[in-house]
Amino acid sequence: MMDRRSFMHGLSAAAIAISANAQSLTGADAEAARQIAPSHDATPLRLGIIGPGSRGKELARSFLRVPGVRITAAADVYAPRFAELNQVCGYEVASHADYRALLDRKDVDAVIVATPLGLHGEQVLAALQAEKHVYGEKTMAFTLDQSAKIVQAATATPRIFQVGHQYRYSPWIRAALARVHQGEIGDVTHIIGYWHRNNSWRRPVPQPSLERLINWRLYNQWSLGLLAELGSHHMDIANWTFGATPTAALASGSICTYHDGRETDDNVQAVLSYPGGKRFIFSSVTDNSQLGDQLWLYGTKGSLNLTLQDATFYYEPRQVTRVDPNHNGAAVTSASYQASGEMPYRGPGHSVEVTTAEDPTTAATRAFIYCCRTGTHPIADVHVGYGSALCVIQSNQARLDRREVAVPPAL
Amino acid sequence: MVLPISNSVLSRVLACLAVALLLAPTLSAQAPLQRFHQSHPAMGTIWTIDLYAPDQPTAEQQLTAAFDEIDRIEDLLSNYKPTSELSRISRDAGQAPTVTDPETFAFLQRSLYWSRVSHGAFDISVGPLLRAWGFIFHQGHVPAQAELDALQPTIGWQHIQLDPAARTVFFTHHHAMELDPGSIGKGFAVDSVVALLRAQGVTSAFISAGGSTFYAIGTIPGKSGWPAEVPDPLHHGQVAATLQLRDTSMSTGACTQKFFLYQGHRYCHIFDPIAMRPVEGVLQSTVIDPSATDSDALSTIVFVLPAAATRRLLHTMPQVQSLVFRQPTAGASEPCSAVNWSGNPCASSALETPGAHTP
Repeated sequence: MMDRRSFMHGLSAAAIAISANAQSLTGADAEAARQIAPSHDATPLRLGIIGPGSRGKELARSFLRVPGVRITAAADVYAPRFAELNQVCGYEVASHADYRALLDRKDVDAVIVATPLGLHGEQVLAALQAEKHVYGEKTMAFTLDQSAKIVQAATATPRIFQVGHQYRYSPWIRAALARVHQGEIGDVTHIIGYWHRNNSWRRPVPQPSLERLINWRLYNQWSLGLLAELGSHHMDIANWTFGATPTAALASGSICTYHDGRETDDNVQAVLSYPGGKRFIFSSVTDNSQLGDQLWLYGTKGSLNLTLQDATFYYEPRQVTRVDPNHNGAAVTSASYQASGEMPYRGPGHSVEVTTAEDPTTAATRAFIYCCRTGTHPIADVHVGYGSALCVIQSNQARLDRREVAVPPAL
Repeated sequence: MVLPISNSVLSRVLACLAVALLLAPTLSAQAPLQRFHQSHPAMGTIWTIDLYAPDQPTAEQQLTAAFDEIDRIEDLLSNYKPTSELSRISRDAGQAPTVTDPETFAFLQRSLYWSRVSHGAFDISVGPLLRAWGFIFHQGHVPAQAELDALQPTIGWQHIQLDPAARTVFFTHHHAMELDPGSIGKGFAVDSVVALLRAQGVTSAFISAGGSTFYAIGTIPGKSGWPAEVPDPLHHGQVAATLQLRDTSMSTGACTQKFFLYQGHRYCHIFDPIAMRPVEGVLQSTVIDPSATDSDALSTIVFVLPAAATRRLLHTMPQVQSLVFRQPTAGASEPCSAVNWSGNPCASSALETPGAHTP
């Protein structure tokens, strides 16, 4: 990753680099490069958005950066969202209190589902059944049954289903994981993901009757809590890194700081077991932000740190080195204690350099439109969504049951 | 020798706010609302928000939402973040017309509006100039004229073409640019936060973007506004103006906080885009306007323009109040010039240079 103050040096080469990269890469990385490359295709594509709340509006902004895209309709049960969306779009969007009315519209080619998690399954399935392309926010669904039905529906239709795991489209994460998969840090055996914040996760509510609607993340009816809202991204990266989904999940959590009537935990911990004894460990707290949002991939030859803006490699000290056969120096006796031997490494790492460190959501939304127009299979497809949903749903079950639970195989 | 120096010319304004903070318990005892304060690093400075709320949980939710909004705008506009939308436009719009979202497009429209009406005194394309003069890396130096000449074809607001119908941005000279929101972005973020807080029902708040842009929502309960002071840079320790801000913004540009010294000469981080050089001889500019976006941009414009040109520009903008201090030794005929400003802020300067200020 280039320095934040020096990235502009590469500006003029950026567009050239994209096409060059697309030609030189192979497989999934080449396909991702094609999908996220700047497009000037302005073929009209009309979007409907179910749930233009905070995330929905952010997605709308990103989609409006793609040529030819217009948001024609929105559905929400909370009427003030429509005016907010109109402000984002700069024009009036047709509004519906019932999402099914949006799906009936002939002037909607694709649908964004950005509602509370508990509603994803029903709405995604209905949108696919209505023969719309679907950009479905993570986590893909609330239950394994709903998730499996979405896999079935998405694979049976020529329409595009893309899940909102936008880090699959992050240039620096893609570049870093490509090097990991080529063995740069040896065999990755452990991944630790932190998403630590210091705020209540509570949104202002205009009147008490709207508490569960606006602060749905804090209540079990529609939310799987921090494991889903934050952990699902990290779990997806763990699946991506290991090339597998986990076989078992352990999790715990509690309400430690915010005793305000919420039902979902304000801190959670999860351990996912992968084939070969590999582990992903996730921690989320909401009363200390020192660690922020980051992942550490630990391999036998080094480590990789991934953040929202960069990727940095660190390398293990060499354990075995070949000795010059002419070396005949005498050993010098000394005390064996080395205070620094097991101290954490605090030196600089080796940044992953990319020429287009673009916002992952901007890239993911552009890729979705590319797929809709060309019929190309998306990178973050329904199987990616199912893998992450497996992790979230079974971790949450383990948290509730206070025991390790099995994770079914991927579909 | 290059000497980076940090000297807070706005400390008096902040000190005034601190005094107001000390008064808060008295006020809260008389009113149902209580005063809360929080700071947050963003956009290369420290933001603070003071607001009145019925209780701490409400204040925390409102402040969290407000600072999230500031972070969102920083993610949208920062030229230090390659992931920002403005950086994407800087990279791509030299290749072909680039579609952007309505919010970013509106930001660019307003930026180009001020470039147009100021005849180039305001220009968000000056990023390469700041880099050439070493302001980006805090390694100030005077570039050779040849270096500046080489930059000239790549910068200039007139190369930025906006198409409202298609919502596209295109750099007509087919070069990548380095759009720098430094003279308007904080004000734009302040306006966004104000809209958000008002939508949440906040009726009394004071937002400070590192001291350079303020916005006062309503008044301190029971008072006529939120107090703010404009220091007099010509007379150390003195105050040129004391105001009660209410539903308006105030932005200040000053050369006392960000500059470098070379061979005994002070080079300011505020640029004259046409001359491609730091502005000379101006100490401080302050602008009051209901829009923080506009006051932020205008504080740069009136810093760059000569006094007469400022008066011509603001002649048709009666809602804009402007106060500019210049170095008396730099050949300036008006060490203090005020336009549309309430009161008589140039009084102390006028005593030394009779007739210097305008009403």
